[in-house]
Amino acid sequence: MNDPYSVLGVSPNASDEEVKRAYRELARKYHPDNYQNNPLADLAEEKMKAVNEAYDAIQKQRQGGGGTYGSQSASYSSSGTKDPAFARIRSAVSAGDLQLADRLLSEISDHGAEWHFLSGAVAYRRGWLDEARQHYQIACQLDPGNMEYRQALAMMNNAGGGFSSYGTGGGMSDCCTTYLCLRCLCPFDGGLFC
Amino acid sequence: MILNYDFTFLALLLAPARGESVTCRHRCHVVPTRRCMCEQSPALEQAADTSVILTYWQLEDKVRDEKGIARLKAAIVKCLLSGAYRKAAARQPEFAGVVCAQLEELRRLEQERCACVDRPADAFARLLVAAAPALPDEGQRRAMEQLLYHLGRWIYLVDARDDLQEDLKSGGYNPVALRWGDAPEDTELDLTLTHSVSLMRSAAALLELGRQTEIVENVLNYGLPAVQKAVPSGQWKQMQKHKIWSNKA
Repeated sequence: MNDPYSVLGVSPNASDEEVKRAYRELARKYHPDNYQNNPLADLAEEKMKAVNEAYDAIQKQRQGGGGTYGSQSASYSSSGTKDPAFARIRSAVSAGDLQLADRLLSEISDHGAEWHFLSGAVAYRRGWLDEARQHYQIACQLDPGNMEYRQALAMMNNAGGGFSSYGTGGGMSDCCTTYLCLRCLCPFDGGLFC
Repeated sequence: MILNYDFTFLALLLAPARGESVTCRHRCHVVPTRRCMCEQSPALEQAADTSVILTYWQLEDKVRDEKGIARLKAAIVKCLLSGAYRKAAARQPEFAGVVCAQLEELRRLEQERCACVDRPADAFARLLVAAAPALPDEGQRRAMEQLLYHLGRWIYLVDARDDLQEDLKSGGYNPVALRWGDAPEDTELDLTLTHSVSLMRSAAALLELGRQTEIVENVLNYGLPAVQKAVPSGQWKQMQKHKIWSNKA
């Protein structure tokens, strides 16, 4: 493990308060909420883990206490579908194989809500944000009650969430509060994105 | 001569995170009576090569598409630039190949009058991704590619919005007009541009940019949003006309 003080960007002589402030700032920067649906979510998770480990190591050295922020996995899941064809597409998107996902989508003639949702997911992974939003809109129109689709469209309408407003952490005063609020809004885990 | 803010920003991103900067004093190539401080760095050389290669192919496009005086002007500048292009392309053959292929793709989409903003923006964004430095760390490479991709996408779309009125008059291809009409409300365009800036910022937060960190963050947090706001209102054109942001005293 790297020197925990250099991970937090503070001197070994820093006061407890300075260590805590540096930790909070980094934890807010790399918090999973800022990287929801982001193709770089795994990298942010690694950074968050390193920051948590560094803080824990310093706390132990200094015989202190205090918990660390939780790190939520941003793995993809196929639990949002019952259709095996769509499950394959979800797996392809998860693995980043967008060409395969495209091909499988083109083989499906019924362009229903899930087809549009997955087309949106493929477009999103490519960085085609306007096209992704249009697909999510159609998916929500075809199946208005589906929380996974609504969540994806809400994310697009919020310009990606976390980093869309200026100031680290999306301008929220406390990342735990942000996390709790988002969990309340998004009750279903294991969707395509989060 | 062809330096602009886009490539200055690219040079910042390509510069190594650590190490001393070496400065020197030279006569300006364009205005030889002036002596300027400049930094000697491979990153600047690479950004300059990138700029020369891209400008050369854009001029080639103009020679092909324009008529009359505009075509003649483009042909003369292209001729003047050909020596510099040969040297730059010899130093960066892969990038020159990507530029040629992606501009060909852009031309095809323009001819089709593609009404999707993402596809032509993607062709341009890939150009900037091809300019990414060969970072040994996989995570750093992915973050840099995401930053450059969305920077390219953002530049292309802002530029299309800025050119909207001229393109409507000339009948030129403009993806923003085809997607949102001749008098767009800009809400959806603003949303998708802000999303790209958000993805750039999240990528920059993961990059080790060393002494460039603050200036890159400043550009992403304040510079791009300010331009994004100024372009639809027409303020951006006024700023350029009156050279409000000129570096001249």
